[in-house]
Amino acid sequence: MSKVDREATDAKDAEPPEETQRLNPAMVAAKAKVADAQVTATDPNLKETPKAPPVVPAGEDAKSDDAKAKTGDAKAKSDDAEPDALSIGQRASAWAKRNVDPLIGVGIALVYVAWLLGTARSLGFSRDEGFYFSASGEYERWFKLLFSTPSKAFERTVIDPIWAANHEHPSLMKSLFALSHHFLWQKWKIFEDQSTAFRFPGMLSMGLALAITYVFGARAFSRRAGIIAAVALGLMPNVFYHAHLACFDVPIMAMWITCIFTYWCAEKEGGLGWALAAGVMYGLTLETKHNAWMLPAVFLPHAVLVHGRAMAAETSKTARLPVPATLIAMATIGPAVFLALWPWLWNDTLPRIQEYVNFHLHHDYYNIEFLGVTYFGPPSPKSYMPVMIAATVPTVTLVLFAIGAFDRARVLAARFAGWFGRTFERALPWPKKTPATDPLHTDTLLFLSLSVPLAVFLLPRTPIFGGTKHWITAYPALALFAGRGFDLVATRIEALLREKTTLDATKRSWALAFVGAITFLAPFAVTRHSHPFGLSAYVPFFGGTAGGADLGLNRQFWGFTTQSLDPWFRENTKPGDTVYIMDTAWQSWQRMIDEKRTPPWLRGVGSPAEAEISIVHHEQHINEIDYNIWTEYGTAAPEYVLTHDGVPIVSVYRRPHGLLRGRGRNR
Amino acid sequence: MTGGPKPKERSRLALAGWLLCAVPLVAVVELALHVKQTSSDVVPESDWTAARDAVKAEVRNEDLIVFEPFWADPLGRRTFGDLATMKREGRSDERRFPRAFEVSIRGAHDATLAGWKKLKETRHGAVTVTLFENPAPTPVLDDVLDLVTPERLTVSRVEDGVEQPCAFQRGGSQGGSTIVPQGLLVPADRFVCGGGHVGVAVLHALDHHPHLCVYATPMPGASLRMTFSNVTFGSSLHGHSGIQWLVERTPTPDKVAVTFSAFDRPIGTHHHKVGAGWVGFELPTPELEGKKGDLVAEIAPSSQRQFCFEATTRREAAR
Repeated sequence: MSKVDREATDAKDAEPPEETQRLNPAMVAAKAKVADAQVTATDPNLKETPKAPPVVPAGEDAKSDDAKAKTGDAKAKSDDAEPDALSIGQRASAWAKRNVDPLIGVGIALVYVAWLLGTARSLGFSRDEGFYFSASGEYERWFKLLFSTPSKAFERTVIDPIWAANHEHPSLMKSLFALSHHFLWQKWKIFEDQSTAFRFPGMLSMGLALAITYVFGARAFSRRAGIIAAVALGLMPNVFYHAHLACFDVPIMAMWITCIFTYWCAEKEGGLGWALAAGVMYGLTLETKHNAWMLPAVFLPHAVLVHGRAMAAETSKTARLPVPATLIAMATIGPAVFLALWPWLWNDTLPRIQEYVNFHLHHDYYNIEFLGVTYFGPPSPKSYMPVMIAATVPTVTLVLFAIGAFDRARVLAARFAGWFGRTFERALPWPKKTPATDPLHTDTLLFLSLSVPLAVFLLPRTPIFGGTKHWITAYPALALFAGRGFDLVATRIEALLREKTTLDATKRSWALAFVGAITFLAPFAVTRHSHPFGLSAYVPFFGGTAGGADLGLNRQFWGFTTQSLDPWFRENTKPGDTVYIMDTAWQSWQRMIDEKRTPPWLRGVGSPAEAEISIVHHEQHINEIDYNIWTEYGTAAPEYVLTHDGVPIVSVYRRPHGLLRGRGRNR
Repeated sequence: MTGGPKPKERSRLALAGWLLCAVPLVAVVELALHVKQTSSDVVPESDWTAARDAVKAEVRNEDLIVFEPFWADPLGRRTFGDLATMKREGRSDERRFPRAFEVSIRGAHDATLAGWKKLKETRHGAVTVTLFENPAPTPVLDDVLDLVTPERLTVSRVEDGVEQPCAFQRGGSQGGSTIVPQGLLVPADRFVCGGGHVGVAVLHALDHHPHLCVYATPMPGASLRMTFSNVTFGSSLHGHSGIQWLVERTPTPDKVAVTFSAFDRPIGTHHHKVGAGWVGFELPTPELEGKKGDLVAEIAPSSQRQFCFEATTRREAAR
């Protein structure tokens, strides 16, 4: 349950007239804390959802989390005042208790990043990774120059040739890939594979997404909701796949939720520091991927909701429109950070920004299959996004999301009804008791965070681009609602156990932990099994991978599954054999060869005519290549078919021995 | 404070509570389905092999073999090898085949065989082999695909009434890259004209299925004339045509016209409209039935370069 829900239930008390009269965020935060302090044991919401387990000594349960935090702070200060009285262990323990949520968040992130590192070697390189490896290699040259002769690094003649590489995307992640490669592979030799060093920042960003999702969930709802939200986010096959990559999709997901969380903290805590932090975060998000252009659609309506009345009052008094400091910071510091971190924009700034914007506004359309039809331009079917979410996000996660989202929507609707009744002096039959107002409008913020990235795919001009990754930024909010949903389920089960069994509190806790484990065993099994074919995986209620094939859903893209042919290549090819690499990018193929992920004796070529062996990655629009190989080799029979759960992923053809090129032998 | 909720509301709340408690069961079912789908539902290679052996024992040259669902086609082709010929896989239509073996998994069926008579069905693990009989086959007498050789075909470019012969070449195919889509591969063995060519290729048509056909490039300023020699005629000329799928998926008013003639008399013209996909045509030739002679196909000037067609002379089905 949101802290901000835990106010007194009397609507009049809960929304005093001066509530939003001023814009000072600190005042808003103070109001929130006062509201927290008004929590009573009779609050029905409180019964539904227990707060996070106490982090202060027993007996403090009735206090709000903020109060607990204050207690913790006070204790810490007391500890500081008497340094000799406590051992290092006690101090560490006190510190850990004060920082329990960040620690849990980091713990979840570390476990997940370790999982990603453990599975990275078995995942081939996607097309886009190949391009980013290449661009990052260029940027690394610049960083080396920066470290050795900084003055030269800032010369235009140096900047432009280097940063021209892949300048259709901002440079933050590619710079991190470059720095990671420079330090973790080249200098400190922490990673054996260069690719792992390139990929590592992307993996860390997944860790960040999980940590922030946890902390957001813990602070907005409960610690249990936070944990479940992070687990739900991590156990999605598509997300798990993308989290491995040296690409921008998971990083923008991480920055999206981090930016929103920072904004929320800025609104809650107030003060210049948080506003500046929000500004910097927005700049980093802009510098990660262009999805950040959509964030104003989250922040502006939310800011109007939080500050609208005060803004209107101020404007009527002074004839000036006051704007919240957080928004000002994001509108000013954000672009400044964006420009400062992207050397390509340091020269010819405006034309290059224009070029960047135009590239994405007029982006090439991709072919993508949906329900047996390959789409290649707008409009995309309205059902595409919801069906693909249902087909790729574990069903139990979606059920929990539905419960959690319904619960929060119900609260929002009840608040709106209360407001409506008060404003228009009408007695409405529902709700009987209006939930107290939330000065931070956290639920609305989460709904905006969820719906803005999804709504884009309902617009008439939006084409299908590349599947689920393009609305991946919505998933942290989806997971947060799922966390809330689990909270409700667990609370109900706990009540049932209390009523119907003689289990003591400890045993009930274990039982609930068991329920949690059972609930996420399927998402874990599905996600684990999907590797390294994450894009081919569909959830069991859709029939799994074969069900996806039956329905005519996209099998894969980016040609990354080439590496999964390695065992076959090793057994069935000889030095000097030529392979038509099809949808694999040249840079990706070269990296696979360099890292011996495919046999180094193979020579990649660009057409079936040049190749002894040709591969085809199965996608509906790529059938053309399949048939072209038949034309070239004169046979329709592949020598090998790589499958996942019995579904073809890649077919491998070999030029028949002694066969003249051209017309077939067995038509 | 008033009392608690009314009995009706209480029972609704209780039901909601029970439903909430049942949510973990969704996960249990999801897990059970996952285990099934990743183990017993996966068709082992041995089942495919057993199905192949069964078909191999009975199949005749003129029979069709289809794999269902279509996504399983690569698995079928891999296992059936030489039985999965390009003529079977890249068929234009099913009517020419007297019988069909449907090799299917997951209960899938080929809709084009719906009206055929089922003769036999056997199961080989998870693979089902069904033998169908075509109620009205139209046997093929000659297939132009078999005639694209320097011995049976002459090709010429006709511009302003002047006919220039196109030489046959054996060389390398043209096309292919690591970017998709790529267009129709220009076959290695082909007749080469100034600005055009003729050879056998496999078209990825608008239906995403393979179609073996004569890739004959229309030319903007000239006609492309193909003369197939010593063709046995039947009561009709059947054919199909298509353009590369990427071109066809954006319909335009453009058309490609192919005119067929024999014994210096026209048989008929087929107009392929861009966007029509892989379409069939039938031109009656009752007056030619039983005769042997040259079949001329002439493609009118057009800017649609990736045109492919096939034609067969056929005898009507015995009634």
